[in-house]
Amino acid sequence: MISAIGNNVQEAYVNLSNAKSGIGKVNYLTTRYKDEYVLGEVKLSNEQLMDLIGDHSPALNRTSLLGIAAAKEALKHSGIDLKDGMRTGLISSTTVAGMCKTELFYGEMVSDGKHLEVLDAHDCGESTEEIADHLGVKDFVTTISTACSSAANAVMLGCRMIKHGMLDRAIVGGVDSLSKFTFNGFNTLMILDKEWCKPFDENRKGLNLGEAGAFIVIESEAALKKRKGKALAKVIGYANSNDAYHQTASSPDGIGATTAIKQALEMSGLSPAQIDYINMHGTGTPNNDQSESKATVNVFGNAIPKFSSTKAYTGHTLAAAAGVEAVISVLSLQNNKIFPNLNFTTPISEFGLVPVTKVTDATINNVLSNSFGFGGNCSSLVLSKV
Amino acid sequence: MGKKAYIIGSGCISPQNSTDPNYFFETVNGPDTDHFNAVEPSYKEHINPNMLRRMGRAIKMGASAARMAVTEAGVENVDAIISGTGLGCFEDSEKFLLAIINNDEQFLTPTSFIQSTHNTVGSQVALIMQCKQYNYTYVHRGFSFDSCVMDALMSIEEGKKNILIGGIEEHTPIYIELYRKAKKLNADNSHKYYEGKTKGMQMGEGSAFFVVSDEKKNAVSAIEGIGVAYKPESTEEFTEKLNSFLKSKNTDLGKTDLVLFGISGDKDHDKYLLETLPLASKNSATGYFKHLCGDHHTAGSFAMWLANKIIEKQRIPDAVKINAVPKEKINSVLIINGYIGINYSFTLLTKC
Repeated sequence: MISAIGNNVQEAYVNLSNAKSGIGKVNYLTTRYKDEYVLGEVKLSNEQLMDLIGDHSPALNRTSLLGIAAAKEALKHSGIDLKDGMRTGLISSTTVAGMCKTELFYGEMVSDGKHLEVLDAHDCGESTEEIADHLGVKDFVTTISTACSSAANAVMLGCRMIKHGMLDRAIVGGVDSLSKFTFNGFNTLMILDKEWCKPFDENRKGLNLGEAGAFIVIESEAALKKRKGKALAKVIGYANSNDAYHQTASSPDGIGATTAIKQALEMSGLSPAQIDYINMHGTGTPNNDQSESKATVNVFGNAIPKFSSTKAYTGHTLAAAAGVEAVISVLSLQNNKIFPNLNFTTPISEFGLVPVTKVTDATINNVLSNSFGFGGNCSSLVLSKV
Repeated sequence: MGKKAYIIGSGCISPQNSTDPNYFFETVNGPDTDHFNAVEPSYKEHINPNMLRRMGRAIKMGASAARMAVTEAGVENVDAIISGTGLGCFEDSEKFLLAIINNDEQFLTPTSFIQSTHNTVGSQVALIMQCKQYNYTYVHRGFSFDSCVMDALMSIEEGKKNILIGGIEEHTPIYIELYRKAKKLNADNSHKYYEGKTKGMQMGEGSAFFVVSDEKKNAVSAIEGIGVAYKPESTEEFTEKLNSFLKSKNTDLGKTDLVLFGISGDKDHDKYLLETLPLASKNSATGYFKHLCGDHHTAGSFAMWLANKIIEKQRIPDAVKINAVPKEKINSVLIINGYIGINYSFTLLTKC
């Protein structure tokens, strides 16, 4: 994983454990608003990212660079040898894709016919293929784009393909780099906070955008046993549903979210009381946190598990968010630690829910991770200790 | 996976008059020199005019094709909506992008940004149908629609009943012009694509949606399965992937009644398909389709609509035919599709 809180999982773990946010002043994104807003930028220039992955091909845009860096780390960590005859797929997700570069050149492309090679890297599939080619994945590639829930759906698809015997393992997650396009898009929707975001706070004003590449490697039990590998965690439940309420807003009743959480729990075979921690979507927008709180109450009633949103560490990394949060959830399971919801002071009056606000040691056997997005897409995952 | 996905409804907007239920390629629309434009229907017959006003073209095409498929299937609702699109709502993306560039990030309105999101078609269809179920959008180039088909087959295996799947692609005048400047388009209309004499694609657009079901009902055809090949490095590797797919479906190239090739007119991109064509033409009827829908990320959805129609009518339109191998019955159709020489898929349909 590469994000605002570090260029790899270990760096992220240190920052998470020290309650140190990666959101700050804008250093890399070119925008006229750079002095007015804070963002969760990866702290490397494109040139430095190229050094990190050891490839200086000019065709690589920031989205591909982040994806390659993160997926390489995940594969290396897994100890898997892709040439061992097992079938491996790459399921990535993105919303920005090549727009981070297209937006810099489209004007000149149109007026002068220059930089036309940028066209080839505009679409969402391109970053996935760059990642696949850098890793050497051949058996299967696809890309999902369901806005901010994308990476959760990539995890879910990977699990299903393994269950159906179509793959032995899959590298699943997502990647989004910061772009003028998304920044201005969210700005026109007036859901950006110029200061640090305050998820689940009564006085929350909006989200901070971030960027990240985040992948996990999932494998069938048989393939894992065969290579005598060791799993970090298990995916025991997942679900996807649609709010069918509004193109960009979540329903105030949290209908889609409630369904996703309930179905994921049902598949996991766990009772609500067995969830030790919820990593919330918690973007910090008035709408999301209200709707998600409602869904949480719908499912858990008065017995709300410990919860936090880690968006105030990384910013909202859109398609990558559920990948980032899957990695953070695994860190919670491995270390029996809850990483806090930063910047929280006042509970939302309608619900009175109070997140974990300090780094907390607790026995964590099962984690629920939520991700919701534009278009009413709601996804939940249940991860558990091995 | 053993279960089939029965096609119980379809809708198709393409450069041909495919929205006319009686149309079967009696007349054919050629390209506008180097690209094809979709023949767009009267959208208000399919979409509430209040919603229509705010929709971009890709959303209109997708939502209308979806509506046609659902109406033909005669189902109240579906258990999943799975969409595929390579470029998404490109017109809105371009509109927002140019506004950013031309106004230096000022005076922007959110409408085109909201609609630029790749999953807009899938979520608008969910909104219209009030379908709160599984909703996915695949955005992987030539695999965008193939991934939908694969997901639908898995979903049926998992117990879902009726599933809406579809592909959507739109182009814009600027995008075409950029492709032209990049010398990626072919304006030479003096050759048939399968002659392998031209370079460049003829870009197309359109949308085809299907309701597929776990039950036969009134279906004319069924999707038996789909296989893919990602960047095969040689003809041998391509052929091996194709044959292993066919073997998994207990068939082979010679046993398929009709093979439809996604030949694009770009002889380099078409290499593996052009090499497979003579082998297929020995025993099977062969045909092609990108000269009817144009080349785009989800042209495979048009091919599926075409294959389903051919099975229904039990006749191969002259406009589609490559060889003259006569077939009394068309019980199986194999679609061998390719996208810019990197994404290949094999889809097998059989008559019910």
